[in-house]
Amino acid sequence: MNASIISQMAVSGALMGLVYALIAYGFQLTYATSKSINFGQGELVMVSAFFSLTLTNLGFSYWFMVPGGLLFGALLGLVVERAGVRLALEQKSEGWILLTIIIGLFFFSAAENIWGRDDRPFPTPISADPIHFMGVDVTRLELAVAVGVLGIMGLIELFKRRTLLGKAFEAVSADRDAAELMGISATRTVMLSYGLSGAVAALAGILVSPITTVGPTMASAIILKAFSVAVVAGLDSGFGVVLIGMFLGALESLSSYYLGSGWREAPGLILLILALAVRPTGVFGKAIIRKV
Amino acid sequence: MLRQTLYGSLILAALGLQAGDTVKIALTGPFSGGSAPMGTSARDGSKLAIGEINAAGGIQVGAKKMKIEIIERDDEAKNERGALIAQELAAMSDLSGVIGTVNTGVCMAGDKHLQEKGVTKIICPAAGSASMTQWSKAGVKDNSIFRFAAHDGIQAAMVVEEAINRKFTKVAVVFDSTNYGVSGRDDMLDQIKKQGDKLTIVAQEKFNIGDKDMTAQLLRAKSAGAQAILIWGIGPELAAVSNGMAKINMKVPLIGGWTLSMSNYIDNAGKNGNGTLMPQTFIEEPITPKAKSFIDGYHKAFKVGRIPSPVAAAQGYDAVYILAAAVKQAGTTDTKKIKEALEDLKEPVQGVIATWNHPYTKWDPADVTTHEAFRREQTVMGMVKDGHVVFGNDADRERLRKSAMSATPAKTKAKKK
Repeated sequence: MNASIISQMAVSGALMGLVYALIAYGFQLTYATSKSINFGQGELVMVSAFFSLTLTNLGFSYWFMVPGGLLFGALLGLVVERAGVRLALEQKSEGWILLTIIIGLFFFSAAENIWGRDDRPFPTPISADPIHFMGVDVTRLELAVAVGVLGIMGLIELFKRRTLLGKAFEAVSADRDAAELMGISATRTVMLSYGLSGAVAALAGILVSPITTVGPTMASAIILKAFSVAVVAGLDSGFGVVLIGMFLGALESLSSYYLGSGWREAPGLILLILALAVRPTGVFGKAIIRKV
Repeated sequence: MLRQTLYGSLILAALGLQAGDTVKIALTGPFSGGSAPMGTSARDGSKLAIGEINAAGGIQVGAKKMKIEIIERDDEAKNERGALIAQELAAMSDLSGVIGTVNTGVCMAGDKHLQEKGVTKIICPAAGSASMTQWSKAGVKDNSIFRFAAHDGIQAAMVVEEAINRKFTKVAVVFDSTNYGVSGRDDMLDQIKKQGDKLTIVAQEKFNIGDKDMTAQLLRAKSAGAQAILIWGIGPELAAVSNGMAKINMKVPLIGGWTLSMSNYIDNAGKNGNGTLMPQTFIEEPITPKAKSFIDGYHKAFKVGRIPSPVAAAQGYDAVYILAAAVKQAGTTDTKKIKEALEDLKEPVQGVIATWNHPYTKWDPADVTTHEAFRREQTVMGMVKDGHVVFGNDADRERLRKSAMSATPAKTKAKKK
């Protein structure tokens, strides 16, 4: 059909898909070091967004609010690790699944009670005016999402490859026991991964809020898609989540255009089922070789 | 033993005295969530009126003056919560009346419980046509449900008329998937047909509560060449539509139900909301002394600089005075007697929107307007301008001022719709 409409829908969708990718990346970070995932990640996104909104309302500038929000997200990540994950992992139990869900529910209720149940606008100095570029309208806000997502993922990947701490992170991801024998504290590395994951969630919240508004349920739809992205891409490929995230986002908005907005969520779910059936380790995942 | 019995009977007597000394009125609505601006404004408008009545000593019921006691329930805009609350209220034996409900779906889920028990309810400000037409469809002979809001029939007529007046020929109809949105769409389609099929609908688009990205729907409307978007939905999603239109550079007017005046639409849409048109029964502008004292009173009592939903607040305020007048005329707190008085109010009630002269008549299942207080005359087009709702055109200001100052024509004979 109309080429400019197709490209418009694909580009808007792909830019939103980057937010899914960023949250999915947060899952990967903790999964790499501890083989655990925070099922309350969506609530971290939401609570951090509310906290950042409060900072803004207190009169702090945007550029102070962003690091403040990230730090708060990292702290929340550490809380989740300490309260929900560490004990379960020490006992080699799967209790972290339930515990992280419960902590998420707790954050949800706390947010409802502290900030109320209403959706609120999130002020940002970045203008929402559209830029016309090769027949496609893109807002500066959406571009900021792309820059922010790719920026922080690039930074974290650099950190993992170039610094000593980052190498420890990789070592624990590769083989926890061997890393411990080399004198690396696995517990600290897991803490680090949860802190980073929390900061990533906070950034996702700050980036997406000006577009979606801030409210207690703001992340509930996004988080499901982030799960799909993480599973389809595989839980250990940062590059993979970006590609799959953008692909899923574009697919969603194209299907809501051609099939009707009621079908928006369908392709993502079909993709998820297909991925689980055909490549359970994810499109970009490494097959796990189990030595017996 | 004797002493205990004595105390016991004293306490009982005191309780009895208290129960007999108040008029119990329930205020319901969503006080949290996306519909909250309407719910809290209607509640607070009602509270303002109740405060004034109580400060003056209460309502003259028969020989004594009785104060109003408020029972407040938050239905969270959820149909199932609304049904539970209605059941609870229907079970109260000494309740005089209910004022409230913002969401048409909540009316549909809950009002049958009140109607079965004959509890008098004034729906305010839910506007969806279905909440009254359900009674005519069911053919109930005796109805205890009244409405105090410009129902969607009036609003849809005005929206369609506005589009025709602006010489548009191609429009997109956009609506949310709730009972309110779907019944609004039906009203609009109905009106387009009624007003001579001058508008061609080039796109019909639906969205869900919670949707933030409307690009797909809007692009379809844009590529079909829509000159205006006629819309039925609530605040947050309406704002997402306005923001989406700005994004894809779609510069056509948004015309729709009165929900486009909700603060969460105006705030979230920001400057993208400028120029949006919607029917209003009250504009937050002190055009009459009564309106001024109401607006100032509201700002002061609830510590705000702007009423979250002026229409809901003013309707909540007037609805209390109308119910109070019915209690006075009935001379009892019995809800069934109050219903009869409401259907035949002898004295005009001075409200902030208008002076209500015989607003309701005896229920006729063939004509829902018997239990509808609003007519076209009390409704004007409002327009969003820099964070406020102002008059869409200046002639309306004068018309509304006149209609507020003079008594509405008595509704002795029910007009056919």
